[in-house]
Amino acid sequence: MGDDVIVCRCEEVTAGEVRAAIRAGARTIAAIKKRTRAGMGLCGGRTCARLLARLLAEETGLPVAEIAPPPSRPPVRPVPVAALAEEE
Amino acid sequence: MTNTDVIVIGGGPAGLSAAAVAAAHGARVTLVDEQAAPGGQLSKQIHKFFGSREHLAGTRGFAIGRRLLEDALAAGVDVRLGRAAYAVYPDAGDGFEVAIYGGDDPAAGSEVAAGHGRSTTLRGHRLIVATGASENPLAFPGWTLPGVMGAGAVQTMVNVHRVRPGRRALMVGSGNVGLIVTYQLLQAGVEVAALVEAMPRVGGYLVHAGKFRRAGVPILLGHTVLEASGDGRVERAVVAALDERGRAVPGSERSLDVDTVCLAVGLSPLVELLLILGVRTTYVPALGGHVPLHDLDQQTSVPGLYVAGDAAGVEEASVAMEEGRLAGLAAAESLGRGDPGALARTKREVVARLDGLRGGPFGAVRREAKARQVGELAPAPRVVPPHPTSAPEPGPATGVPGRPRPLAVIECRQEIPCNPCETACPRGAITIGSPITNPPRLDPAACTGCGLCLTACPGQAIFLVDRSREMARVTFPYEYLPRPEVGQTVTTVDADGRPVCEATITAARLTGKADKTWAVTVAVPDEYAGVVRGMLRPRVVT
Repeated sequence: MGDDVIVCRCEEVTAGEVRAAIRAGARTIAAIKKRTRAGMGLCGGRTCARLLARLLAEETGLPVAEIAPPPSRPPVRPVPVAALAEEE
Repeated sequence: MTNTDVIVIGGGPAGLSAAAVAAAHGARVTLVDEQAAPGGQLSKQIHKFFGSREHLAGTRGFAIGRRLLEDALAAGVDVRLGRAAYAVYPDAGDGFEVAIYGGDDPAAGSEVAAGHGRSTTLRGHRLIVATGASENPLAFPGWTLPGVMGAGAVQTMVNVHRVRPGRRALMVGSGNVGLIVTYQLLQAGVEVAALVEAMPRVGGYLVHAGKFRRAGVPILLGHTVLEASGDGRVERAVVAALDERGRAVPGSERSLDVDTVCLAVGLSPLVELLLILGVRTTYVPALGGHVPLHDLDQQTSVPGLYVAGDAAGVEEASVAMEEGRLAGLAAAESLGRGDPGALARTKREVVARLDGLRGGPFGAVRREAKARQVGELAPAPRVVPPHPTSAPEPGPATGVPGRPRPLAVIECRQEIPCNPCETACPRGAITIGSPITNPPRLDPAACTGCGLCLTACPGQAIFLVDRSREMARVTFPYEYLPRPEVGQTVTTVDADGRPVCEATITAARLTGKADKTWAVTVAVPDEYAGVVRGMLRPRVVT
């Protein structure tokens, strides 16, 4: 995968930016997320998490099996703040 | 705040089956799903499904979804469509709280996206998560161009909204999803330039591949898509052969003029809600990646929290229904609902069917993977007896010269979990028996050539051959527009879509029971009786 290929479509993060984050020390998907915003868009990383895991495996030699999925926390679907404020 | 016994998240085959069973055994059940249409992915499926009668085999997917919804409603399930579960929390007692967001009526599913609706909370003693799976991405230069889309999006456009995504497509991936969607693109009038598959073999069922091979779509094994390009949208895609190490072979690149690239490269279980509740997971590539550990009742490492269907490991709709039933039974039982004898009896039946579905070489991989997944949580997994592997059918049967009646010719040679041909035959001439993955065996003496099996077969792998006259008659299933007409001259094809000869349609039958699958009969020279298996679709002017 070339450096200019976008891996996170929601936040338009390229493979090159993710590789740079890994070379700067990111060793988990969560760490990549914090450095690049990959996985922080509307889909919540549902699309790119596998691509991030693959890049992490390629760059570090970690087996894919040992790369944990990104941490999950509410809301897992886009919800307007107004709806939360009105909760019954 | 609504209080209930069991909350089910997800209205696909697993969730609806879980809800219906739990309610039938006396539990109060509320089910939520973010879509307005019932059935999860089933709502987009227009092909006939495999499986047995208990899985509504031979029925088109969307109709299965509707039936499962009717069953759940009849059992008294409170079904709330058009509502997304966006958060889960353990409650103060033994149960769970689920925050949902969405419209006020079942038809208001679109309001979720539109930003209307409101947030409410459900509280239940048991929670069954049946959230399904999400599509895997494939990143290459140009994959963000309009025209590159997942197979799920293609199905939504073509099968739900009746919009063609383009005029000429490249399909990536030969699992059952890629195979089925290729056929559906053809049915919708989209040309498919090729299907590329990185592995050296077709991943899904050969009968699904056969449906579009007869239309001449090439399958390029050991190939992948390298890039898509165009001015603002896809205008072409480059495919190339892969070497043993998965790298593109220099010089093998080929540019295809396509405006659509459809990605069908696998699914990942959607486990976000389970992760929030802290379930333990393991990594099983054969089941889609990170999967939650669960026991034989589908209960996760969190007591009272169950998982079923693709969220528990990607398999098939029929497996999802049975896993859902197991979860529903266990949830009801743990709440002291239902008659213990009835619960145990139903569970035995479900477990037996589930084992059957995981039989054969396709099922074996998943069966072993599932045993590992379950084994990590419960040290004593159910012992699954090995299924006998039957020898494949001997070479092509070509009918019997001089036999006064047509004879069914069954070209189904893989061990797949499916038996509608057996149940369709009024004479008991077709035997599959148990396990359900046995290939069908035909008793020619008992076959009357009625053709009920031909249109019942979801794999379109049964034909009728009549060699009683000078010109043989071959009957094949057909699901394209325009409608075939008696007297029409057509070009017949073999199983790989290669033209065989010109022929006249002598009969074109469409019965209600066949549910839109035509049985088309053509007259061909006797020597082609064993070769002709379809016809080229007449050009449609669009």
